[in-house]
Amino acid sequence: MITFRQYWRQSATYKIFRVFFRQFIDFVTTFGAIVVNGAATLKYIVSLQIKPKELMDQCVRFGISSLPITLSIVGMTSIIVTSQVASEMVKQGGGNFVGLLMSLLIVREVGAVMSGFAIISMIGSSLASEIATMRVTEQIDAISVLKVDPIRYLFVPRVLSGLIMMPVIVVIASAFGVITGGVTTAMTTELGYRAYFDSVWLGIYMKDLGVCLLKAFCFGGTIAIISCSCGYQASGGAKGVGLATTKAVVWSFVGIVIWDLIFSIAFFF
Amino acid sequence: MSIKVNNLIKSFDGRKVLDGISFEVADGETLAVVGFSGSGKSTVLKLICGLIEKDSGDIITSEGDVAMVFQYSALFDSLNVADNISFALRERRDLRNKYTEAELKDIVSKKLELVGLKGIERKFPSELSGGMQKRVSFARAIVTEPKTILYDEPTAGLDPISSTLIEDYIVRLQQETNAASIVVTHQMSTIQRTANKLIMLYDGKIVFAGTPQEMLRQDNEYTKQFVTASLEGPMHMLTE
Repeated sequence: MITFRQYWRQSATYKIFRVFFRQFIDFVTTFGAIVVNGAATLKYIVSLQIKPKELMDQCVRFGISSLPITLSIVGMTSIIVTSQVASEMVKQGGGNFVGLLMSLLIVREVGAVMSGFAIISMIGSSLASEIATMRVTEQIDAISVLKVDPIRYLFVPRVLSGLIMMPVIVVIASAFGVITGGVTTAMTTELGYRAYFDSVWLGIYMKDLGVCLLKAFCFGGTIAIISCSCGYQASGGAKGVGLATTKAVVWSFVGIVIWDLIFSIAFFF
Repeated sequence: MSIKVNNLIKSFDGRKVLDGISFEVADGETLAVVGFSGSGKSTVLKLICGLIEKDSGDIITSEGDVAMVFQYSALFDSLNVADNISFALRERRDLRNKYTEAELKDIVSKKLELVGLKGIERKFPSELSGGMQKRVSFARAIVTEPKTILYDEPTAGLDPISSTLIEDYIVRLQQETNAASIVVTHQMSTIQRTANKLIMLYDGKIVFAGTPQEMLRQDNEYTKQFVTASLEGPMHMLTE
């Protein structure tokens, strides 16, 4: 005679409920770890417990090595948008505002968000897999046994480099995107470079530039903290490293979209 | 008494991995901990060095550092040998400004000499054999002059000759540091060559405590089964 408890445990409803419950627990655990590790990292950064050489190494990794792919993505996005919009605007008599539209689009949105996506795929995944590998090979345990705080040693230079380098990357990528838009406009319409670049500054205010830099700053910190935390929480072997990397990428994507939404509501709603 | 463990209890997911174990290790002594895979041997080490929290019981160690040599060395693969060994001296809050670069270089050189490796300071862990990595991890462990040294399966994955070499270095480090040591191992040769005394764990409890020589007498059903590697006996593989 099967009891109700046994029947319930074998049912599809129970199994589906269990999967959702586990995912909820995983969500709460991951979110908690990101908050706790982020707070500990910021505490070290505020108290200036930073090693310049390690910070420089991470800045080179975060900024210089990721620049080609970031420029490629922002540049290509700019070409795609300009090639579709510029000729239509010229036809409708709005040719003098192509530069304005592109600069607004890139400075307010495309530059930071596309750079964020590029950094997540290149640097975020690399940070998560590096720290996850250190976790599963007991290197992080070794750091703890040697009485060094892994948060200070691993998180601080990586997160600080994200905070410093992301605005730099976004400024360079945005400038590149605006220039690429100008070249595309000149190649696909009868509008010249001058008409395009004359209108670039018409709609850009200091507020836009400030918001762009602040957004980049938040994106950089968020990507680095999420990636390091997901790697730090890894367990098991190769599968654990893979899961941690996937989680870091997904959470970072969601993180920067949430930041983007917050900035849009706060400054442009 | 350098390490005193009293009534230690630790559970994972509701299963008691350690169920009230007690033992003592004096300065200069080496205790071997043996038992089936999954019997909680490594858990004992992780509890002593603070990597995991105990459920209840007492762990008392002498003042001074606790060092641990990990099963697969756990060297930092982004750092060279010299930086691996001097890691604690460079990064620990209480030590980081204590030594000059020249002094650090000298300490690294001396520790490497102690484990029979000279002139490999600039090499990275990936350029070393398993045995060499293990010896570098010994050097890293003793760099802060610890009073307690824990070895987690120090000869795992090594050929018999490298294993003998590692066992010799465990004995040598013991004589140099006079630390209290615990060696978790499956190898009879490691037990016989390095340990003064031994405990055997099964199902969370100590089922034998004595010397390596007493273990060989085989008047205990558990040690008899372990020494003869028999499937017949009181111990069964723990599957849950």
